[in-house]
This record gives sequence, C-alpha cells and structure tokens, in this order.
Amino acid sequence: MASVSIRNVRKSYGTVEIIKGVSIDIQDGEFVILVGPSGCGKSTLLRMIAGLEEISGGVVAIDDRVVNDVPPKDRDIAMVFQNYALYPHMTIADNMSFALRLKNTAKSEIAAKVERAAGILGLGPLLGRFPRQLSGGQRQRVAMGRAIVRDPKVFLFDEPLSNLDAKLRVQMRTEIKEMHQRLKTTTVYVTHDQIEAMTMADKIVVMHDGIIEQIGAPLDLYDHPANMFVAGFIGSPAMNFIPGILGGDGFTTEAGDRLPLGGRVPAASDGRPAVYGVRPEHFRLADEGLAAEVVVVEPTGSETQMVLRPLGTNANRAGAGREDRQRELTWVLRERTGARPGEVVRIAPNPALAHLFNPDTGLRL
Amino acid sequence: MSRPLRTLLDKIGMAVCVLLLVSPALLFFVWMLSLSLKFEIDNGAYPPILIPERFAWKNYTTIFEGNSFLLYFWNSVIVTGAATLFALVVGVPAGYGIARMRAHKSAVVIMIARMTPGLSFLIPLFLLFQWMGLLGTLWPQIIIHLVVTVPIVIWIMIGYFETTPMELEEAAMVDGATRWQIFAKVALPIAKPGIVVAFILSVIFSWNNFVFGIVLASRETRTLPVAVYNMLSFEQVSWGPLAAAALVVTLPVLILTVAAQRQIVAGLTAGAVKGG
Repeated sequence: MASVSIRNVRKSYGTVEIIKGVSIDIQDGEFVILVGPSGCGKSTLLRMIAGLEEISGGVVAIDDRVVNDVPPKDRDIAMVFQNYALYPHMTIADNMSFALRLKNTAKSEIAAKVERAAGILGLGPLLGRFPRQLSGGQRQRVAMGRAIVRDPKVFLFDEPLSNLDAKLRVQMRTEIKEMHQRLKTTTVYVTHDQIEAMTMADKIVVMHDGIIEQIGAPLDLYDHPANMFVAGFIGSPAMNFIPGILGGDGFTTEAGDRLPLGGRVPAASDGRPAVYGVRPEHFRLADEGLAAEVVVVEPTGSETQMVLRPLGTNANRAGAGREDRQRELTWVLRERTGARPGEVVRIAPNPALAHLFNPDTGLRL
Repeated sequence: MSRPLRTLLDKIGMAVCVLLLVSPALLFFVWMLSLSLKFEIDNGAYPPILIPERFAWKNYTTIFEGNSFLLYFWNSVIVTGAATLFALVVGVPAGYGIARMRAHKSAVVIMIARMTPGLSFLIPLFLLFQWMGLLGTLWPQIIIHLVVTVPIVIWIMIGYFETTPMELEEAAMVDGATRWQIFAKVALPIAKPGIVVAFILSVIFSWNNFVFGIVLASRETRTLPVAVYNMLSFEQVSWGPLAAAALVVTLPVLILTVAAQRQIVAGLTAGAVKGG
C-alpha cells in the first residue's frame, strides 16, 4: 500500500499539450476515480502513473519516491486494462502467476497466492482454462486476479468495465468495491461513466481538456459543484441550467419567470446575468412556478423522467434549433404521474438545493 | 424460374468458376501424376491418355537407382533447413524490432532487397565464394539462399507483430518483464502462427530455388531442382522419370503446407483480447 503524489504533471505530443499541469494527492488505501469525457487526458494520466507514457513535466511519486524515470516493472503497480490484455497462450493460472514467476517466487508461494486470489474472485474451477474459453465477465475477473496476486502498492484500472453489458457492469462494480474494502490497496481508476465514479470512489477527480475541474468526495461534487462543467457532468440525468438575471432577492429567467434563491443572494448582484442550476429531482409541482409544456414522459418504474419545454422561451417555438433544445428542462419525480405530452405543468425548484453560476466563467457564484 | 432450380444453377455456376480458377494449378499436377505413371510409349500417344492401362511404377524406382537422388535430397534438406533456420533466427527478432520501433524506412530497404533479382547478387558472390575457397561445399548455397529467405521472414513478421495488441506487452511490462522477457514470453508465443507462415514460405522459396543451385553447385552439392533439370540432358528426354522426380521434389513442400495450414488457422482463432 502506498500514497501517490502527482505534482504539476504535464504531457505533450509535439506541440499539442494533452495534460496541462495536474496535481493530485492520493492517500494510502484511497480509492480515487479519474472521470471525464473522452479525450480529457484521464487515461494518459493513468498510463503516466503506470510508467507506460513518459512524463513531459512535473513529478509523479509513489510513496514519496519520485518514479518519473523508473520503468513500469520497478514501480510495484498492477494494472487492469480495458480489453483485459490476458496472455492468450497461457492458462488462467499462468496468467495470474506470470508476474510472480518473473520474480522467481517459490512455487509453493505462487500456488498459495493464486489460490487465494482465485478464491476471492471465484475463479477456482477456471484456473486450467485459456482466456478464449471464458466469458467477458470471467476475463475481467482474471485481469483483476492477475493484479491481486501481485499484492502491489497501487492498483490501476483503465476503464475496466466498459466492455461488459449493463447488468454485469453493475455486478462487477460491487465486486471491485468489495475487493477494495477487503484489500485496502491504493487504487486509481479511470472511467468516463460518472455513475461508476459516484458509486465506487472515495475521491473523484473530474478532468476536462487536460485540466482538473474539481476534486472531492462523490456527494461533495454532487452537492457543491465548483463550476458548470462539473455540475453538468456529475449526476444523471444532468443538471438543468436556466439562464437569467439576478435581482432583488430572486432570479428572473429569460422568459420572465421568478425563481426563488432561498435568501442566498450573492453580494453586489443586482442586474447581473447568471445561470440557475437545478437538479432534475429538485423540482416540485407548484402553482406559482415555471410554466412548461410536457414533451416526453419516460416512466422507469421506480421513478418518472419528464422532458419539459418552458413556455415563453425559444425552445417552445416550432423549428427550435439545437441551442434552444438545451433550454429544455428535465424533471425526475418519484411519484407516478398522469401527465401527458402537450399538457402544461407548473414546477418550482427547491431554492435550498439550487446553484448559481457565472455564465462567462462557468464558476459557482 | 423456381427457387430450387435457381439455387442449383447458382451452385453449378459457382463450381464451374472455381474449377476454371484452380484448373491451371490442378491440371498441371494431374498431368504430371499421369506422366509419372505412364510408359514412354503412352506419353507420345495421340489422343493423349490420362489414365494408362498399366502403371509404370518403375519410373519412380529409376530415379532413386540411376542418380544420386538421395544425396541431392539430403543436400536440399541441408540447404533449405539451414537457410530457413538462419532466416528465422535473424528475421523474427528483426521483424519485431522494426514493428515496435516503427522503423518503416528499414522495412522499405528490406523490401528493396526482396525485389532485387537474385541474379544480381550471384556473380559477385560467386567470385567471393571462389576466393574464400567455399565452392564445392554447401555453404555458398546456404548463404545465397539467405538473400531470399531473410527478407521474406522479416517482411512477414513485421506485419504480424504490428497486429498483436500493444496492451499485452504493456501488461507484461507492468507485470515486471524486461524487454527481452516480453519478446520471449509474450510476443514470440503469440506470433507463432506468423512464424509458421514465414517458415513455410521460406522453405518453399529455398526448396524450389533453381538459379543459385545451377551456378553454385558442383556434382556433389546439387540440390533437387538442379538434379531434376540434369535428368533432361542425359540420353534422351524421358518424361516418365522426369515427372516422377518432379513429383517427389514437390511432395515434401506440399505435405508441409497441408500439415501446417491447420496450425495457421488454429493460431488465428486464438482470443487475445475481448471478443476473441
């Protein structure tokens, strides 16, 4: 087990800078998830921790030892790849013991470690098979087994669940989390799936365009996003953004509706443009609220998701473009509803749970 | 037209096309087989006889009796074996290096070596071998066959190593393997089907090579193609023994290809990454 320290790390390919100075502190035993849209540099950062990519600038240290120039084999890390990267010519047992055999570990010790890992992951009956004879989920487990057997300082996961079907993904998510609670090995996990990030992480690092947008505990990010990117990225369905102007003790939308702020009015804000952010589940039916037309009703059983088009905005006009579509609101309610497309409902946000952002910088007000 | 009739016509059409395409290669063999089993009198018959009434097995015994056929066979085995072995020892690591370092320019140089006609190497090398006193041994033939076999092996292995997933080697790197261990324990075993293909092609080219042999070989160091050619010039053109000899020369390569083909297919279906 170990801590990992990333200090002002940069990565460029030629003149293109992929990672633009990133700093993260990962404590011993912590489960940290790097999350962001594709191309944000999260996988590259992980590969730099692994030693598979050179570091253009800054410092990566594992347990206070700078590893910038240390080859992967001497970093004492284990990595699970997106496509599992199992050695096709070796049995499952040989795949799992490969690293130990390279270190000339005693046979009895190898057998014991492989057996223990196989026990943890339920791979016992498969040890004599070849990777091609296993299902996707089983291969995934073998890839994890290969990492566990090593008993490394740090586990690295590169989108390990993205090749699995939805049901298996949920199951493996639980298994990985259980495994971490049991082994308490420092883990860095990359995903583009914010639900994976929310459900598994001790700490989430949200990345975008090679920089860190915010670092924090899952619910911290959810409740207090630092900017509009994090607010929109974390949470599903995404947060609603309503542009308008601050004034008096409230917020006026472009269509002229008044939204409450619950007394949290930023200083010197009269007449200032702002974006009002509210999560889909933080609306309720209210006579004094925003009038909007129901566009789509999507019941999932446990909840109902509704897409609404606020009256008086461009989104409501015929021939509305993509830009206008973004003005559409999503509402998630736990109760069943009889609302049908075309009906007009009035909804109001919960002011205590609403967010305000600067429309120019995207930062939280 | 009814549906079953249509399917039948489709099948017949397909069969005719396939027959037309493979017939040059196939008929050639059939005729050679027929020749090798006919007496001299039947060979000149008109209309031609495909299947004779009496089989002339003696054609086969003649070639083993009359010439030092076994010696030439052994020469061929040594020349082809050594040239192929050297080519694999040098070419497989070279192909790996070129593929991993993306050294496309070196690959082009090898391609050029492959395209250069063998004859252009022949005369300078002949003088060199003479000066070194190697003529009369099998070494000149082994060395000059490398001109053909090494580029083939390298070229095939580059293509093969480029298609093996990089993640496997990265996984090995993280698992603690050195560069050499990655090559020996991960890249090489996975490339086995590629090595088999390179091996077969190298054997075929080397085994069938005629030009190098006819120039460099002495009476004692002839390889099979040269020996078969020499049968032409003795006494008269005896088609029966000639065809029999040609078949015997072709047989080892044919058997090798058929046997190894299964290996190649089996190797290609191995699942390295997801979906395999």
